[in-house]
Amino acid sequence: MSINLEKTFQDALEQVKTWARTNSPWLIHFNSGSCNGCDIEILATLTPRYDLERFGVKLQGSPRHADILICTGPVTRQARERLLRVYEQMPEPKYVVAVGSCAISGGVFQGCYNVIGHIDQVIPVDAYVPGCPPRPEAIIDGVIKLLKSLEAQEQTA
Amino acid sequence: MNAIGMLTNLLFFPAGLFVLVTGLAYEWVDRKLVARFQNRLGPRWFQPLADMVKLLSKEEVIPEGLDVRLFVALPVVALAGALTAALYVPLVGLNPAHSFPGDLIVTLYLLSLLTMCIGLAGANTRDRFSLIGATRTLTQLFSYEAPFLLALLGPAIVVGSWQIREVTAYANQHWLILTQPVGFVIALIGLMGKLELPPFDAPEAETEIVAGALTEYSGRGLALFRLGKGVELVIGLTLVAAFFLGGVANPVAFFIKTLALLLIIAGLQSLFARLRIDQAVGLWWRYGALLALVQLLVLIILRFWGWNGGL
Ligand code: SF4
Repeated sequence: MSINLEKTFQDALEQVKTWARTNSPWLIHFNSGSCNGCDIEILATLTPRYDLERFGVKLQGSPRHADILICTGPVTRQARERLLRVYEQMPEPKYVVAVGSCAISGGVFQGCYNVIGHIDQVIPVDAYVPGCPPRPEAIIDGVIKLLKSLEAQEQTA
Repeated sequence: MNAIGMLTNLLFFPAGLFVLVTGLAYEWVDRKLVARFQNRLGPRWFQPLADMVKLLSKEEVIPEGLDVRLFVALPVVALAGALTAALYVPLVGLNPAHSFPGDLIVTLYLLSLLTMCIGLAGANTRDRFSLIGATRTLTQLFSYEAPFLLALLGPAIVVGSWQIREVTAYANQHWLILTQPVGFVIALIGLMGKLELPPFDAPEAETEIVAGALTEYSGRGLALFRLGKGVELVIGLTLVAAFFLGGVANPVAFFIKTLALLLIIAGLQSLFARLRIDQAVGLWWRYGALLALVQLLVLIILRFWGWNGGL
């Protein structure tokens, strides 16, 4: 009986945690070699017109405060170290969203002498948002899908 | 007072659960109002709670090269200071839980403890952004603290007592904002400086110095600091409302007056852009401190002539 009680308690705790995580995603944005098109779209996403604070999204300056790393662009040789360092500075649990064709596949920069490749050759990616650049709606959709998948994971676990 | 009453005071009301919840609620009201001023929908009502639970359930990274004990203890001390201050202010129009002559000064120092802890937290890490943030936090502390203190001393001088209970008892009968408008304005703006709200958010300017003094804090530490700020918001609003706006004699008056003050603060936040740190300091010392000092002098002289402080 006591084991069951503990299990219910643990389950409830997990549910509360998942609820909080999916309702309060704080972002940090890192550009690892993008042409700036995707970055401008991300900034547009954060403007009052799309108002991401509805979903509890906040843009944070410090990787230590963030839950979701939004990456744009291919990874250049110079940015690789920095991308890794920003990723490693984030506290667990952390998620990565790759925004733009370049972040997914290297896009038009594929095969450049200074480009290593796409984001998931360097760090694990949880959601991909295609487009060159993707519209703000697409970026919001990507983040929301990531949050939905977290809830689904919780239910199957 | 018996032990159970004291425990209730510490854990639920007025310090403890009650101010924590009110702090979160007021943070939501503030964010929602600013969002509405910017023509946005704004966060949902449980947003601050979700933020807090999420931060508490996250990993806390302890960076290298700092004093670990200090790093862990500072958020706790900051929150404890803010919660202790709640014991001495007339929350929800009830009498303060504890009271002794001179508790006004103690309360104001307890409120500064949070800022001091943030400054120390920034100075403790080796990260340069935290260091700049800490310098700015402490610079701002030295600039707004004196005018804020002088402004809140105005009512105390009129009453002739340093005890919050006696000052509020007097202020319940008099709208001190009429006789001390300067003090009211300075106290309100000083509160904004204390909470590092825009336009006084140079210490945590994320476009320049990442996140200021709290850059290295994650998870639990950050959550406790944020909670402390929420508590301080409630206590500061209560103090200003109780001293200048005709007192907070009952819960209805308490909520109406503090929320009205919050509306003004939210309006000012969305109206002004961030001041540079030197501009903020100049504003406080050139105008704030001077005006507060002049008003204090006038009050003292008038009292000397036997004026009772009312209209
Ligand atoms: S996906 Fe398009 S807009 Fe985005 S970085 Fe690549 S080229 Fe630029």
